[in-house]
Amino acid sequence: MEKTFVWKVGGPAGFGITTLGPVFAKILKDCGYFIHGYLEYPSLIRGGYNSYQMVFGKTPVTAPKKRIDLYIALDDVCFERETFDDDTIVIGDFDNLKKADGIKGVKVNVPLKKIVEDLNGKDIMRNTAALGASVAALGLPEDVMAAVVAASYPGKISKPNVDAAQAGFSHCKPMIKLEKTDNGSCKKAPVMTGNEAVSIGAIRAGVTFFSTYPMTPASSILHYLAKEARDYHVTVKHAEDEIAGILMAIGAAHAGARAMTGTSGGGFALMNEGFGLAAITEIPIVVALSQRPGPATGMPTWTEQADLQYALHASQGEFLRAIYSPADLDEAYKFTIDAFNLAEKYQIPVIVLLDKFLSESHFMAHDMDTNYGTMDRGLIFKGNPEKPYEHFKRYEETENGVPTRSIPGTPGGLFVAGSNEHDKTGFVIDSADNRVYQTDRRFKKQPFVAAEMPHPYLIGKEDAPLTFVCFGSMKQVLLEAMKYDDRFNFIYFPAVHPLEWEKIADLLKGRNLVAFENNKTAQLRALIAENTGIYIQKTCLKYDGRPFFTEEVVEYVGEALK
Amino acid sequence: MKPVEYNTGKVPNWCPGCGNFAIWNSIKKALSNLEIEPHKLALVSGIGCSGKMVNYVRSYALQTLHGRTMPVATGIKLANPDMTVLVNGGDGDGYGMGVGHLIHAIRRNINVTYIVHHNKVYGLTTGQAAPTSPEGTITKSTPFGVVDATINPLILAMAAGATFVARGYTGESEHLTDLIMQGINHKGFALIDVFQPCVTFGGQYKYEYYDQRVVKMDKMPSHDEAVALAADQEKLSIGLYSQYERAPYEARHPEISRTVEMKDVSKLIEAYI
Repeated sequence: MEKTFVWKVGGPAGFGITTLGPVFAKILKDCGYFIHGYLEYPSLIRGGYNSYQMVFGKTPVTAPKKRIDLYIALDDVCFERETFDDDTIVIGDFDNLKKADGIKGVKVNVPLKKIVEDLNGKDIMRNTAALGASVAALGLPEDVMAAVVAASYPGKISKPNVDAAQAGFSHCKPMIKLEKTDNGSCKKAPVMTGNEAVSIGAIRAGVTFFSTYPMTPASSILHYLAKEARDYHVTVKHAEDEIAGILMAIGAAHAGARAMTGTSGGGFALMNEGFGLAAITEIPIVVALSQRPGPATGMPTWTEQADLQYALHASQGEFLRAIYSPADLDEAYKFTIDAFNLAEKYQIPVIVLLDKFLSESHFMAHDMDTNYGTMDRGLIFKGNPEKPYEHFKRYEETENGVPTRSIPGTPGGLFVAGSNEHDKTGFVIDSADNRVYQTDRRFKKQPFVAAEMPHPYLIGKEDAPLTFVCFGSMKQVLLEAMKYDDRFNFIYFPAVHPLEWEKIADLLKGRNLVAFENNKTAQLRALIAENTGIYIQKTCLKYDGRPFFTEEVVEYVGEALK
Repeated sequence: MKPVEYNTGKVPNWCPGCGNFAIWNSIKKALSNLEIEPHKLALVSGIGCSGKMVNYVRSYALQTLHGRTMPVATGIKLANPDMTVLVNGGDGDGYGMGVGHLIHAIRRNINVTYIVHHNKVYGLTTGQAAPTSPEGTITKSTPFGVVDATINPLILAMAAGATFVARGYTGESEHLTDLIMQGINHKGFALIDVFQPCVTFGGQYKYEYYDQRVVKMDKMPSHDEAVALAADQEKLSIGLYSQYERAPYEARHPEISRTVEMKDVSKLIEAYI
């Protein structure tokens, strides 16, 4: 198996750590490498410690690692936070670093401060100079680097950054011999975050309304759609809170828009009553829910998969919702498109469940088909111009439990969208017969929705002695680990609800199962037990705010199969 | 359409003598006079006795959650600016739980008309204090009297920059009809606070109370006069307190589109290559 490399840069917030990632990613992919970029940062604007890790190689890479091959230290704080081994190359301006004595690794002194001063540049450009040095250390071509840096910085700051990168480059000799690659497909593959893939999926699906309140790690969906609002005709509102965020989307969807909201657990908590309103009024909405560690404020900028059971049960009463749990960019994009059709076809709220690791890390997309999806808005009443003021049985079953929607403005389609239990026209009523009819009708949709959800499936060798069970972004971690030890396989849940559980029970039977989740209580295990009676005894769980690192999985497999 | 033709066939289950009947009748008259067709009317309501209005006026109606009329109405108007959006809610709904949303609806100047049923009590939940209950009012939730200061909705709305602020009274039905018509015709957010006595749980705030105190204003007062009149608890002036022009919210969103279609995202993806 070929080697994957880990490049990492660290320093206080405000040192240009996060901007460096995408620039270096582009250099690597233009050279034909597959990349994955993983970002860690605290919840503050200046100071603290930010880091950006780039994993790259000749085959797809999808998860972060512990061991670093090359590290750029932009500040003394780096030596408090990182550990190196004897072979780690550590690039830094060691004349100006005071805490580097005694660190392991091969120190490469690059006078970043002097380079920037000589160029009359701003302090922040030390990041680009250091990038240049690291590109040289990896033996990558200077011309590709210069072209990418030039294109990455706009206008007046373009040339100074190219100068800084080239000056940094000239201060370092090639130290690592990378395997050559000429993979043209990497050059053509987009690199983006999960949130960007969700946003582009929403635009592809024809979203016309998006409203929410900012909350890490979901905010970049709001930012993206706001930026593209006028070009793609999306009304994007930063509302006064998440309650208003979901309710504006519900009002818009009622009036005919394709509407969406997006948030993290805390914001979703505020949205809960609205989520139930969407359910009882059968107004279709899509919710992108990106998990971070809770409860309450928790750890705002870190990752966890602890809102699965919450998403399954949020809001009072019993009602149908659907939950996709994409693992990668291609799925984030496609499932978002599918979510809009599913929501409108079945008139239910649909969640696209993400986590910070997927939402904010950089991945490479290999199958983001710009032609994916067709418009399906479900059953919509065409109107009756002869009798424009008549009421319409909006809540009477047409097929599969699904009624026909009537969009305000349509002649002859009058109804009440009632948050109270209602009769077929929507008028409030609390008769026993009607309650049972409406509840049964709304739940009648469930098997039809289940048949449309992406089904859990096995990845890896059929007869492996160990089978992990996971959902969402953990698929990426297991795929990466499988490159190092293929004595395990795994069952991956691209969606968690509703599902065809009889088929899943067959898939689970007769295997040495381990619940593999980024949470404390193995929430997917609980869901599986509830629906199949199969209780997975073993767990491999992580809940420290970080995703699993590749080595941790390999280590677990090694121990388990000793 | 005649006012009676806006009836839905459902019989209101408000208490006999409830002020809501007058509001109901004024709404139907206003719609009739303005020739607003039922399928072009989006009726939105909160929860409580006032919220039941959605069942009694022929329209595309949406009964929201308690306190949450404003964001839902905003979403409807932004998605389809051709709809006339008329909102009913109680003073507990709008000035209690929903007061945050109210301020933001005012900031936005979204073109919806908001009729607040002001009766100083929570009626449907059998009599607890409202944000409009004067200090000292004894209710089930305040057996020793209300301690919180009272919200003055008109002063609050004017301070927040509302482009249309009015007060009506269910004992002055024609006057109320006229206010609702003015509110619907106003290009922007219109707040109509309506004294609507709760005949069952309203305590001393019944028709007799208001009949003795309500006076019609003959013209719109100056801003300073308006604040003074709104603050007066003995002489209760009804009519238009404040109105000025400002572009409505939906007119400031050129991106609004009612066409839902698959979009070409190739440029968006290419930007990441």
